[in-house]
Amino acid sequence: MKRSHQETSSVQEAPSISTNKKIKLKEEDDNMDDELLAALGYNVRSSDMADVAHKLEQLEMVLSNDDNAFNYNNTVHYNPSDLSVWAHTMLYPDLDPTRTTPSDECTTSNKRIRLGDSAYTESTTTRPVVLFYDSQETGVRLVQALVACAEAVQTENLSLAEALVKRVGSLAASQVGAMGKVATFFAEALARRIYKIHPSSVAAIDPSFEEILQMHFYDSTPYLKFAHFTANQAILEAVTTARVVHVIDLGINQGMQWPALMQALALRHGGPPSFRLTGVGHSEGIQQLGWKLAQLAQAIGVEFEFKALTVERLTDLEPEMFETRPESETVVVNSVFEFHTVLSQPGSIEKLFATVKAVKPVIITVVEQEANHNGVVFLERFNESLHYYSSLFDSLEDGVLLPSQDRVMSEAYIGRQILNVVATEGVDRTERHETLVQWRKRFGLAGFVPVNLGSDAFKQASLLLEIFGGGDGYRVEENDGSLMLAWQMRPIIATSAWKLRGGRG
Amino acid sequence: MSEKRIISIFKKGNKKRQRVKQVAKFCINDHHDILVEILRRLDGPSLCSAACVCRLWSAVARNDSIWEELCFRQVAPRPSLSLRSVVSALGGYRCLYFVCIRPVLARLPKLLWSRDQLQLSLSLYCVHYYERLYVGAWLSDAPPSSLMFLRKPVNVV
Repeated sequence: MKRSHQETSSVQEAPSISTNKKIKLKEEDDNMDDELLAALGYNVRSSDMADVAHKLEQLEMVLSNDDNAFNYNNTVHYNPSDLSVWAHTMLYPDLDPTRTTPSDECTTSNKRIRLGDSAYTESTTTRPVVLFYDSQETGVRLVQALVACAEAVQTENLSLAEALVKRVGSLAASQVGAMGKVATFFAEALARRIYKIHPSSVAAIDPSFEEILQMHFYDSTPYLKFAHFTANQAILEAVTTARVVHVIDLGINQGMQWPALMQALALRHGGPPSFRLTGVGHSEGIQQLGWKLAQLAQAIGVEFEFKALTVERLTDLEPEMFETRPESETVVVNSVFEFHTVLSQPGSIEKLFATVKAVKPVIITVVEQEANHNGVVFLERFNESLHYYSSLFDSLEDGVLLPSQDRVMSEAYIGRQILNVVATEGVDRTERHETLVQWRKRFGLAGFVPVNLGSDAFKQASLLLEIFGGGDGYRVEENDGSLMLAWQMRPIIATSAWKLRGGRG
Repeated sequence: MSEKRIISIFKKGNKKRQRVKQVAKFCINDHHDILVEILRRLDGPSLCSAACVCRLWSAVARNDSIWEELCFRQVAPRPSLSLRSVVSALGGYRCLYFVCIRPVLARLPKLLWSRDQLQLSLSLYCVHYYERLYVGAWLSDAPPSSLMFLRKPVNVV
């Protein structure tokens, strides 16, 4: 490959299977280690690049042709950070056992995320060494590349970021399973950020499509069901003696939470109360939704009244819009994944709290994602969300065997959240998740006190998860009166309940 | 073929003779209410087998009270009338059993069937009903199923 100073050239990617992605280099000195790869922990001299690329190509061919060569028991790992030596020894393993360098871990920044053990062992065997292609290794490299790219974005080093994001893209394409999918979404989000593709196209998605995605997510995972069932249980316990129950749902979507509540109210001791639902939403289908809920209510014998409120933002809500009748009815406010959206504008959350307080609810049920995706520093947000969404995708992978359409739709639903967290800023970034601890502070400052969710909710949630299956991955955890649903010990969503300080109930 | 016919063959020759009322041997198929009472005491799999015996039994087995009995056998206290009306509105106990209760029991055979499980099944059943009623009409190509997890095999890790 011809080279000259100040001229960009390209080399083959290491080790990708499918596409031929090229890294553009700016080389200043032939003998210096290539700066891009050095950022990732690979020491390759720029002058060796062509040779290394060629060897990697050959290696790829060998690996894809000769699967029988993999012998999991006899493996020697060469120092992969010295790419030229590694490539040579991988291709010609018998030649020079003395060239094995002592094991050396790849070190990049100290903000790496480890996904599995990547310890390189040294073997002193003189038996013929064989190749072992570790996909966990690719997974680790993938994460390292993602984090390095995020760092580059943070420090505004956009050329480096651009190169890294392409590398991530190709690595992700070769990684099967949850990790590859997560990486693909994150790579897309980073690319949007780098190329400043502002997400007005992302945000302006048809709300009914958003609802379809959420529907598939509802069907294929237990998260939303958990949210609805635990919130409903809290509501039931708060309205045991009420004759008229008025529920204000801050994000009605498909109204999937309310049939179960209505059914429970219908079977209440002493007969069902009158049930009034005010649904806040975006799409035009809300009226039809109300009709269908009314049909269900009539079938099961519950007096039902429905009102739809279509607003652009939750902060447009005013207490008068709800038309509450405080003398006769008991008001409940419910929010599933809605509160965090108002954090994008300063002052909005206070207004929303004020509106909620003004309707004097006996209980406010809140379900939120258990993660801090609202940090000021981009890199922290990135790392936190990478962890969180990896767990979430993992749970999709390991759970119930899903038909492909449901899985794809659920992944798209989650993917949109990832795009929002990583690629947007300012008012558009509506997925500002905060942890339960943070919400507790906010609610406390606003004048609310927590309500314990009780053992019935815990029992129901545990039962639901037992029935749902998915092995032992899902767990219900109790946290100071609130309930969390965790996947492999990592909490994913949290349900909490609140009431006004000094209020009745 | 009941005994009545056999006896009537004997009597063939005596057409003019007054037809003697034969007390045939008891045939369960003539007494649907007793059949129902018997079927009510069966457990799930046996009841399903019974419903496959013949068309008559299949029709009798559609009697919802049989399935109500099956659903509530181990649950005390007894369900109220309001529960019965709610469940009938949602499709009946037979559907409830097949859609919710049987898969749950199959999934967790050691589960002690109690009021909590029944309550949860009812809630799931209600969601299922609503989903088919409302959303199913709207997503015409692939009707959603919130109870899909009950039907699909689980990746037991």
